[in-house]
Amino acid sequence: VNALDFLEPSGAAVARSPMEGQAIAAGARMELRDGWNVAVAYDDAEGERLRTSVGWADVSHLAKLEIQRPGDLEPGLATRAHGAWWCRVTRDRALVIGDPAVREQVEDAVDVTTALAALTIAGPLAREVFARFCALDLRPQSTPVRGFRPGSVARTPGYVLREDADRFLMLFGSALGEYLWTVVADAAGSLGGGPVGVDALEREAARA
Amino acid sequence: MTRLPAQPGERLDRSTSVGFTFDGKPVEALAGDTIASALYAAGQRTFSRSFKYHRRRGLLCCAGQCPNCLVAVDGAPGVRACTEPVREGMKVEHLNATPSLERDVMAVTDAVGGPFTPPGFYYKTFIRPRRLWPLYEKLLRNVAGLGRLRAAQDEREWRTEYRRRHADVLVVGGGLAGLVAAIAAARAGADVVLADEGPEPGGRALAGGGHERARDLAEQARAAGVEVLTSASALGSFDGLVPVWQASTLHQVRARRLVFATGDVEQPLVFAGNDLPGVMLSGGVRRLIALYGIAPGTRAVVATTSDRGLEAADALRAAGVEVVAVADLREGRTVLEAEGRKHVSAAVLGGLDGADERRVECDLIVMSGGAAPATSLVAQAGGRTAYDEGRGHFAIAELPDDVLAAGAVAGHGDDPERSGERAGALAAHALGLGEAPPPPDGPADRRAPEAVPPAVAGAGRGKCFACLCEDVTAKDIHLSVDEGYDSIELSKRYTTATMGPCQGRMCQLPAIRLMAQETGQDLASIGTTTARPPWSAVPLGALAGRPLDPAKRSSIHPRHRELGARVMWAGDWRRAYDYGDPQAEALAVHESAGLIDVSTLGKLIVRGPQAGEFLDRLYPNRFANLKPGRIRYGVLTSDAGRIMDDGTICRLDDETFYVTTTSSGAGAVEQWFSWWLADWRMEVALTDVTQGLAAVNLAGPRAREIMGRLTDLDCSNETFAYLDGKRAQVAGVPALVLRIGFVGEVGYEIHFPAAYGQDVWDAILETGADHAIRPFGLEPQRILRLQKMHILVGQDTDSESTPFGAAMPWIVKLDKDEDFIGKWALEHAAERVGGHGSLALVGFTLPDGDVPTEGAAVLAGRGEPIGQVTSARHSRQLGQVIGMAWVPAEMANDGTAITISDESRRLRAEVLTRPFYDPDGEVLRS
Repeated sequence: VNALDFLEPSGAAVARSPMEGQAIAAGARMELRDGWNVAVAYDDAEGERLRTSVGWADVSHLAKLEIQRPGDLEPGLATRAHGAWWCRVTRDRALVIGDPAVREQVEDAVDVTTALAALTIAGPLAREVFARFCALDLRPQSTPVRGFRPGSVARTPGYVLREDADRFLMLFGSALGEYLWTVVADAAGSLGGGPVGVDALEREAARA
Repeated sequence: MTRLPAQPGERLDRSTSVGFTFDGKPVEALAGDTIASALYAAGQRTFSRSFKYHRRRGLLCCAGQCPNCLVAVDGAPGVRACTEPVREGMKVEHLNATPSLERDVMAVTDAVGGPFTPPGFYYKTFIRPRRLWPLYEKLLRNVAGLGRLRAAQDEREWRTEYRRRHADVLVVGGGLAGLVAAIAAARAGADVVLADEGPEPGGRALAGGGHERARDLAEQARAAGVEVLTSASALGSFDGLVPVWQASTLHQVRARRLVFATGDVEQPLVFAGNDLPGVMLSGGVRRLIALYGIAPGTRAVVATTSDRGLEAADALRAAGVEVVAVADLREGRTVLEAEGRKHVSAAVLGGLDGADERRVECDLIVMSGGAAPATSLVAQAGGRTAYDEGRGHFAIAELPDDVLAAGAVAGHGDDPERSGERAGALAAHALGLGEAPPPPDGPADRRAPEAVPPAVAGAGRGKCFACLCEDVTAKDIHLSVDEGYDSIELSKRYTTATMGPCQGRMCQLPAIRLMAQETGQDLASIGTTTARPPWSAVPLGALAGRPLDPAKRSSIHPRHRELGARVMWAGDWRRAYDYGDPQAEALAVHESAGLIDVSTLGKLIVRGPQAGEFLDRLYPNRFANLKPGRIRYGVLTSDAGRIMDDGTICRLDDETFYVTTTSSGAGAVEQWFSWWLADWRMEVALTDVTQGLAAVNLAGPRAREIMGRLTDLDCSNETFAYLDGKRAQVAGVPALVLRIGFVGEVGYEIHFPAAYGQDVWDAILETGADHAIRPFGLEPQRILRLQKMHILVGQDTDSESTPFGAAMPWIVKLDKDEDFIGKWALEHAAERVGGHGSLALVGFTLPDGDVPTEGAAVLAGRGEPIGQVTSARHSRQLGQVIGMAWVPAEMANDGTAITISDESRRLRAEVLTRPFYDPDGEVLRS
């Protein structure tokens, strides 16, 4: 029996993101997926937003595992495998982020899914949004696609992973979810951006 | 005034008019005008009143360098009219004049205030009689400053934000040198940002006949990928970080190489009446003509030390202005005095020795006292300047490796493009991009000869201003030296010269020259004042940026809001303080059941073969011998044996421990553990799951029944005893349930994934509804824990508190085989327990019902303070006031009477050394 099984969000109840209330208030259509109440869509402008300005999506439902033996994972660059990003954080520690099924691939991990909330910020103005609250150098020459950067986001500890040229995954403490949503909405909103559902993210990724 | 015919390179769109008001009167402008150019074209000559003497001030530089045209726009003060573009409907108002710009009552200080307003006058003139100082202070504060903020807070607020920008190369200054430097670096492959103060890049070339080239280079720069920031002032240099202020945005530019192409600043001449409207710098005159199609006057006198003045004279003539005299210092003549009441009406010219004096009627005096390289930012970035005797100014002498300079600031004003090309290429090459440029060729300095202006001309004829911002005259510098302020840094602080909005652009060099004249030292010996940010005046709001206040909230927080909780800060968390009636909430815990959100507790997973040993080294008690499924209280001590934090530790299996900490100590404990782990290199892994797990404490006589309905666990006391920890499904979610109590009743602390916070909270309240369960907040929890005399670290302890003093000697296991943090100090502390001078934490009760303030003093018989109250509350359950206090150890006996001094009150209290409620823990363990 895993002594830490109580960390895994595998209950019968509905798992909720710390940003659920704000997503609903912003007009999200919610759907139950893998036990989580997920904001899947907002409005008809999501695709346009992602192509021309910026959108952000709550992806806190992604599984997140901490492993203690990172093996040969490259520092600063994430590896994509088994539907997840494998990100080395320190010499002795790595994060695995992605499909819940990845739990089957990892031994001896601590499930930190609910410890970290996550937002995907995507679109041509994504870097500009980060520039409003984050001092990390996210230029392609410093943070290429797959680049993984632990650092401060909006004055709190976090991680930024560049999933694609204009698509970033930001992880932060889940208790700060409401705060980070407010910060991102303020920054992205001032640049003409808005929230998007996870379905729009997937559609745009498929288009690309 | 009619405009000149369209000028080549002008900024105006003559087909579009823009209307605004100045002091309520309508003004017609052209699109492309600045406020100042539009007002000047409309005949306005006085733009502001000076800081101290309230003298009339007119346009001087037309480049945002001087303080003369500061106005308020739509209520926001401190806007430079000469660089602020006009907008339809904007309301422009003058500053610093009452009741009007034309009739300013405070102008009386110019006429009669001289003897009363020397440097530091507010500390000299206005100190006697002393009882009137409050009146003086009010008066001085009322007349000081440049403009007033709008009264209403919401009218003073505007959206500002930071924008972090990393770059390979930052070029500061968008003149020809800066533009070419940016292009060269960008073409070599560098990521380049260029920041320029002007509304368009081009610098002096825009009004000096080089507008086509400047605009072409700006296009080339953009095409090469340079991010060009206009109307963007670089404010300082902080170890490579250069804040650039642009409207509502503060760009925090961090570049690997800095290229300063900040140009030079044309210097005024110091002579009698040199601040009179109608006295302008040659650059200002040229900008009015070339960019805005305005003839600055009809009859002009030009006084210069270089070719700049002569070039301005040519531009004036081309604009149809009669140039009636030119005084070129290189030929021994200069301007001694400007005459006029509201505006220049004549100039007195002559030699420096007063010979060949001549009065010339005119309405414009164009002056040029040479140019000083704008080295402030370079100096802030680590550059060093030295006095250039030939040029009469301070020039760059040395640059750090990652800083370059180009153009006039580098002394290359004669060939700015070549200078910029080289600087840009060098910056890129230093980053491994492009080719290294060849060494510079040609003569080192091809600039035309210039004369060094005198410190002052025409002294004795009237006020000769060295510092226009602060109204500091040549005589003031003389007085300050006489009074012993004989270094430039002291003089700056005493006279406030260079401390105004121009930040020394116009006055640093004149002040140094005057200091040299007064002290007999040479300028090199006097040196410059330390260059400090901000280089340009900037609103504080722009520096503040967006207010980011990282607030942690538990996943149950939405429920607290719905229940009407009073939410307050607790460390970096927002917590439910109470739900309206803290005493009733506390009572419910004793009578039926209560539920509190304790998700804020720090939670660490410590695992690995050496996990037990690791904890034994950190804590003064033992954990390696803790059985799986059991819990033990722990107090974390520093290496000085002082209490740092406390919490419980549950052993989950042989190699896994679950450690809780205080809410506010979670971060520090995690760092403490990590720090020692890195040092000891043990086979232990540490994971902070504080935010990943929600936690609630279900407590009260009905808690067991409620718990039994939420889980399959056998919750009987025999199976699930006090200090047991069990994993179970609670309300359908995986959880770790700890049988512990902080509030004195049977309790279960339930830890579960935060994503289920609201659902589990709802389920417990719903299940407990039949048992009169009630949510309780932080305040009732504090009452309940005080009844049990449980300490709150940081509240009842301070940085001197040891477990011995805090009535917990039992937790220190000095007989442990292993060394542990703080052991040596605690061994010594153990020897002093109860000794003279030692303090002990005790409980107390007050029979008369007064609740002392936390922090109130405990007094000895003779009234001297001997201790301090740390906590005090009224307990409805106990029907009395209870508290905790530090008292001398010899008084730590049940029944000892103590006196508490609380402001004017004297309260009699009685010491108690055991918990007020359930002292033997029978309820807790039942």
